[in-house]
Amino acid sequence: MQGSKSIATKLILVITLCSALIFAVTLGYNYYQSRLVLEKELEKNARNLAMSLANRVERELVSVSKVTDGVARSLETANYSETQLHSLLQATLANNQEIYGAGVAYEPYAFRRTSRLFAPFYFRKNGKINLIPLEASYTDLPYVYWDWYQIPGELGKAEWSEPYFDEGGGNILMSTCSIPFYEASGGVRHLKGVVKADITLASLTELISSVKILKTGYAALFSRNGMILAHPVKESIMNETFFSMAESRHDNALRQLGKKMVRGESGFVLYKSEGGTRNWMYYAPIRSTGWTLAVVFPEDELLENVRKLSLTMAAMGLGGIFLLSIAVIYIARSVTKPLRSLVAVTEVIASGNFDVELPSTRSSDEVGALTNSFRFMITSLKEYIRNLTETTAAKERIQSELKVATDIQASLLPRLFPAFPARSEFDVYASMDPAKEVGGDFYDFFFIDEHHLCFLIADVADKGVPAALYMMVAKTLLKSEGQRLGEPELILSCVNNILAADNDSCMFATVFCAILDTRSGEVRFANAGHNPPVIIAMDSQKPQYLALKAGFVLGPIADSVYNAERLTLKQGDTIFLYTDGVTEAKNPEEQLYGENLLLQALQDAPKGNLADLIHCIRSEVNRHANGAPQSDDITMLAITYRGAGAAIKEN
Amino acid sequence: MNIETSKESTTMVVKVTGRLDAVTSSEYEQKFNALIADGETMFIVDLENLVYISSAGLRALLATAKRIKGKKGLVSLANIGGSVKEVFDISGFGSIFPMYNSVASALTAVTG
Repeated sequence: MQGSKSIATKLILVITLCSALIFAVTLGYNYYQSRLVLEKELEKNARNLAMSLANRVERELVSVSKVTDGVARSLETANYSETQLHSLLQATLANNQEIYGAGVAYEPYAFRRTSRLFAPFYFRKNGKINLIPLEASYTDLPYVYWDWYQIPGELGKAEWSEPYFDEGGGNILMSTCSIPFYEASGGVRHLKGVVKADITLASLTELISSVKILKTGYAALFSRNGMILAHPVKESIMNETFFSMAESRHDNALRQLGKKMVRGESGFVLYKSEGGTRNWMYYAPIRSTGWTLAVVFPEDELLENVRKLSLTMAAMGLGGIFLLSIAVIYIARSVTKPLRSLVAVTEVIASGNFDVELPSTRSSDEVGALTNSFRFMITSLKEYIRNLTETTAAKERIQSELKVATDIQASLLPRLFPAFPARSEFDVYASMDPAKEVGGDFYDFFFIDEHHLCFLIADVADKGVPAALYMMVAKTLLKSEGQRLGEPELILSCVNNILAADNDSCMFATVFCAILDTRSGEVRFANAGHNPPVIIAMDSQKPQYLALKAGFVLGPIADSVYNAERLTLKQGDTIFLYTDGVTEAKNPEEQLYGENLLLQALQDAPKGNLADLIHCIRSEVNRHANGAPQSDDITMLAITYRGAGAAIKEN
Repeated sequence: MNIETSKESTTMVVKVTGRLDAVTSSEYEQKFNALIADGETMFIVDLENLVYISSAGLRALLATAKRIKGKKGLVSLANIGGSVKEVFDISGFGSIFPMYNSVASALTAVTG
């Protein structure tokens, strides 16, 4: 379960992250590009808007200055009487609704020599045109010292005043256009006076203030000094300047922007408002007055559509990723579901149940291939385990049969000691330890007649069942022929011929066969390729190997000739017979026990009791082997001659 | 055990190295059966490097010799020494096989 879970999780994680990344990059690029395009478009629109507004203001101002200029030029070309002058001013005011007030201010004594100052001014009030003599109304300071009079005179050109609130006119924002006019006498132009026209800026500022861009974007008008003339926030009009705002906000950028505006430049800038919102502003100068018109709109609103679009796209993308995740989960589940069921089944298989049904595989994909492999594996495992079970059963059967064979073989050899409790002329003892369950070694002893004991030891080539079978035949033959013939050489040659008759596999046995005359201690013996026995004589210090003629092994070749030899055992002498399992016993270092160690052991072994002697040799061999596995059957037989006297005594 | 063979004119010289016992004797027999099947009849078995021979080894030696004899062939032994010679002496095998002190003298005896 853990594995399948992680496959689905990994798939979802990787695919979702990758697609989210791709989507985010695309969306980000799209947003950035849209914004760039939008900003360009915006600049164009802002410029157009600002220009058109500026033109509109310009047009209005220019029309006023043209009328004013016309009056000034009229006064230069003709000498107007006081009545004519009044008519001109009244007509000008009547014909130009946009002009609030119009007047002419003369230089001292320029209109007539009798009066120093003369400045008639007409203005509208409550739908009527009223006259006010400025030389009389400026009581504190004569008009000739006022800016509107002095500046155009000094500069010699039309001058628009800084806008101001006309107290008398009811707090209307006004501006005054002043144009000088001259008198030419004797080729020299003298300033004769200044024509003055007041206009109300209410309609202009109304127009500008009413401009709305997007939601909260607006247009504003600034005077030459940075004074706010038109702004959606009425309170700031004529109360604040660019520079005072920059001062209060400690905003150097705003101050720089103000300087640019005063210089009459135009531009498109991004600036931060007091509230911290980012705003775009396009500003353009109004040439005739040196004012600046600006259009302002917040960036947020500008980008609102892009944002909305981006958000929509993001929502769609998220939805897409969600759908993708569902698809991935579906695929991962369809991949891992058969795997999960396969895992469940293999757990059952692992617990040893091979008859469990594997999940059906419709598809030919990897999972299907895996399932088929599992099916094949289960079949193979079943087959293997059945074979193993059969083999084990067969092996157990063979083992039990071999166990029986071991018992049978052991029971064939005389095992009861003392073997002849009634016979005191000799002692006999023997043992046989097979290397496998059954062995090829054997020994035997039996009486041929009352006084002749036949004893023999044999070693069948090889070990195990074939050797054991051969041993059975050889032992039976040797006993029956031994009892019949009574001579060692005859026994061997007779048995050899019987064995050789059908012996293609060349099985053979080495046999030492001897017959003891219990009356004299004489031993007649013949050898068929067996190890020479050891004689342990009472009157000798050391045991000795019996020198004997080799004789060919028993079994493979018919008509082998065996020679009879003889020796006489004195009272107390012992003859020790053994097979090569004794002398060829190996230790872990592969060293053989050997004939010399055997002789030494026989010399050191306790005398008197043959069972002790043989057990002693056996333990010596074991000691030498030092845990190394027994490779051959170990068989020993010993006979001690006690003398005929013993028997007579007994009797 | 290791078995090397070389052909000297009509005679196959088989050099046996190591131990010839119950474990290796079947291998020895198989090798000879293959050579007999190839039509070889004259063999000299070089036992100079044979360190040990068990009764099973003797049986294999004898069985192959008997089989070769049945094909009118002959097995001679060369370079028998040490403990192997003792085994041969005790078991009477020395009187069954023609034995030579060297492969060369065996070859001379066989071909001459």
